[in-house]
Amino acid sequence: MSEQIAFWMLSAIAVLGALVAVRKRNLIHGVFALMIFFAALSVLFLLLLAEFIAAVQILVYIGAVGILLLFAIMLTERVTGDDDRRMTSRGWFWGFAVAAAVFVILLLPVIQQLPSPEAAQTIDPSVKELGHKLMNPYVVTLEVLALLLTAALIGAVTAAQGVRMPKEEDSQE
Amino acid sequence: MSLDLIRDILIATVPLLVIFPTLFAFTTWLERKALARIQNRVGPDKVGVPLTRYGGRFSLFGLGQPLADGIKMLFKENIVPRGADRLFHLLAPILALIPAMLVLCFLPLEFPWTKSLLPVQAFLLDSAVIFFFAITGLNTLAVFMAGWASRNKYSLLGGMRAVAQMVSYEIPLVLSAVVVVMMVGSLNAAEIANAQAGWDWFVFTPWGLAAFVIFFIAALAETNRSPFDLPEAESEIIAGYFTEYSGFKFALFFLGEYIAIFAISGLAVTLFLGGGSGPGVAMNLVDQGLATERWVTVSAFPGLAVIWFLVKIFAIIAVMIWLRGTLPRLRVDQLMGFAWKFLLPLSILNIIVAGFAWHAQQQASGTVKAIIWVVCLLILYATAKGLDQLNRPNVRPREYKYAE
Amino acid sequence: MTLHHYLILAAVLFCVGLMGAFTRRNAIVVLFSVEIMLNAANLNFIAFWRYSENPALLHGPLFTLFAIAVAAAEVAVGLALVIAVYRHFKTVDLEAMDTLREE
Repeated sequence: MSEQIAFWMLSAIAVLGALVAVRKRNLIHGVFALMIFFAALSVLFLLLLAEFIAAVQILVYIGAVGILLLFAIMLTERVTGDDDRRMTSRGWFWGFAVAAAVFVILLLPVIQQLPSPEAAQTIDPSVKELGHKLMNPYVVTLEVLALLLTAALIGAVTAAQGVRMPKEEDSQE
Repeated sequence: MSLDLIRDILIATVPLLVIFPTLFAFTTWLERKALARIQNRVGPDKVGVPLTRYGGRFSLFGLGQPLADGIKMLFKENIVPRGADRLFHLLAPILALIPAMLVLCFLPLEFPWTKSLLPVQAFLLDSAVIFFFAITGLNTLAVFMAGWASRNKYSLLGGMRAVAQMVSYEIPLVLSAVVVVMMVGSLNAAEIANAQAGWDWFVFTPWGLAAFVIFFIAALAETNRSPFDLPEAESEIIAGYFTEYSGFKFALFFLGEYIAIFAISGLAVTLFLGGGSGPGVAMNLVDQGLATERWVTVSAFPGLAVIWFLVKIFAIIAVMIWLRGTLPRLRVDQLMGFAWKFLLPLSILNIIVAGFAWHAQQQASGTVKAIIWVVCLLILYATAKGLDQLNRPNVRPREYKYAE
Repeated sequence: MTLHHYLILAAVLFCVGLMGAFTRRNAIVVLFSVEIMLNAANLNFIAFWRYSENPALLHGPLFTLFAIAVAAAEVAVGLALVIAVYRHFKTVDLEAMDTLREE
């Protein structure tokens, strides 16, 4: 019973947070709504007994991605965070239509009344086991991921740094 | 949701919500007293505890000062700037306090009255340490929120400074904790504390010592303590993100900051200083029949482990106060350079050293172990020295042309 | 709670993200939307793992872990690109960046 109450509350929070995040004019408010969405999703992971993923969700999404988004907004938009131009794109109608169509397609399994499998009752997802799995069958994936993160780091720095202008041009200006 | 569960939750959480704010009041008094003594002043000594004579001989060293401050804060006017975002201005102090309070439950404090509900305690979670770091990171958001919502240049500057600082120092903070997690082989706070039973504290190993120093420095920066208090530098940006806060909201920020200090000191005690271990506290390994083995604390009298834990927290806080009275504030570029060019490489090297040492001393005898330790210590010391030399600014001594 | 509840929730969240990506002009909000979609997919992975025959294999959490790491890399690069574009165009409005368009 308490699990159901938690599920419905968290789903409501997550959907509302996501809606506010994508439709709010003020970007800073949008980021904080996005964080509420991330937090709700993290608690949903807890509800599904994936506690390590829940912790990583908070650590990476709220702690790192959120802060990064805030920094990007402060560096690009005006500091008030208001999106002062027209915020909806030209093809908004087709956007809504495609989103609705995809929603219907995603719902097909439910519409077809496929049987829902039962949840395993005894489940002990220990973090140790996860670590062993990462080291034994998935070690190549882990290394590739490390490479990807390093490449992303270098790429982000070079992209954000921009092209250094030669000094003569600076003096001409 | 049965009544028993609610009762158990209350038993587990209410003591934390009572003990730590009380300690907060005491700590503010301690800090003001200690700073005053360092600066050759007397500090608060007039306000007595209620029922003692005002200003008389029985003012008990001004112990009533926190109470008086609290009452003053409560009755002050709550001022919100006209351009401010009212909702975020209100939410920021609350958001600053909640994560700080929340992480307290990940500290392995075994109160005597919570023995019966040990299996449901949060610090027994399989990934308690990760949760601790994740939730502590939320503090950054509160700081940014406060700085942005105040609609004040100084606040925004302070807020952005704080965010940059906290994000940078979180990396060495987590990496230094990784060493301990590697050694214990668990992220469970209680298991980490109990692996250091007796005097097997991690701070007494070379890598543990290096990790503890890195952790302590990063914790200072993470909680905006001096010498890393740039976000609230009074002399440069008034009070940073606090500037537009007054009255009760300011008190909440203040409380949140100190609770965060307690929490991160508590984590340092858990990771490096043996948790609740100390004279009169012993640990027994008990096989509970499940797949996991649990340590059970046996102390001379109930609650002794908690007392040792709090004593260690206060030892760390005393050092923090001492540093605040001694060190000048860093510059922004020094701050960032220190995190990225000194602490980060050192903590990564520390992880590598710890890994090699752990494998080398598996079957080693006493003397071999001692040699490994000395070598590790030398490597870490040489690296720290080398990084220090590399990071020295290339400044020649100033030449005085005309002053001769 | 059945698997269907979680699947429907994930579908709703995914479509909210999709809608945001299609209907907003601000590049940063489009990044928000992409994050929402990725998270919805992660929720599906975890839900399928929880209701799978053999959860001890931990496929769901492992894949989610990798997805989260990739998403973090994606956000870092994406925001760096947004900042680079902002330097050039002085705006993050996606419809203003149409220099390759036929007039």
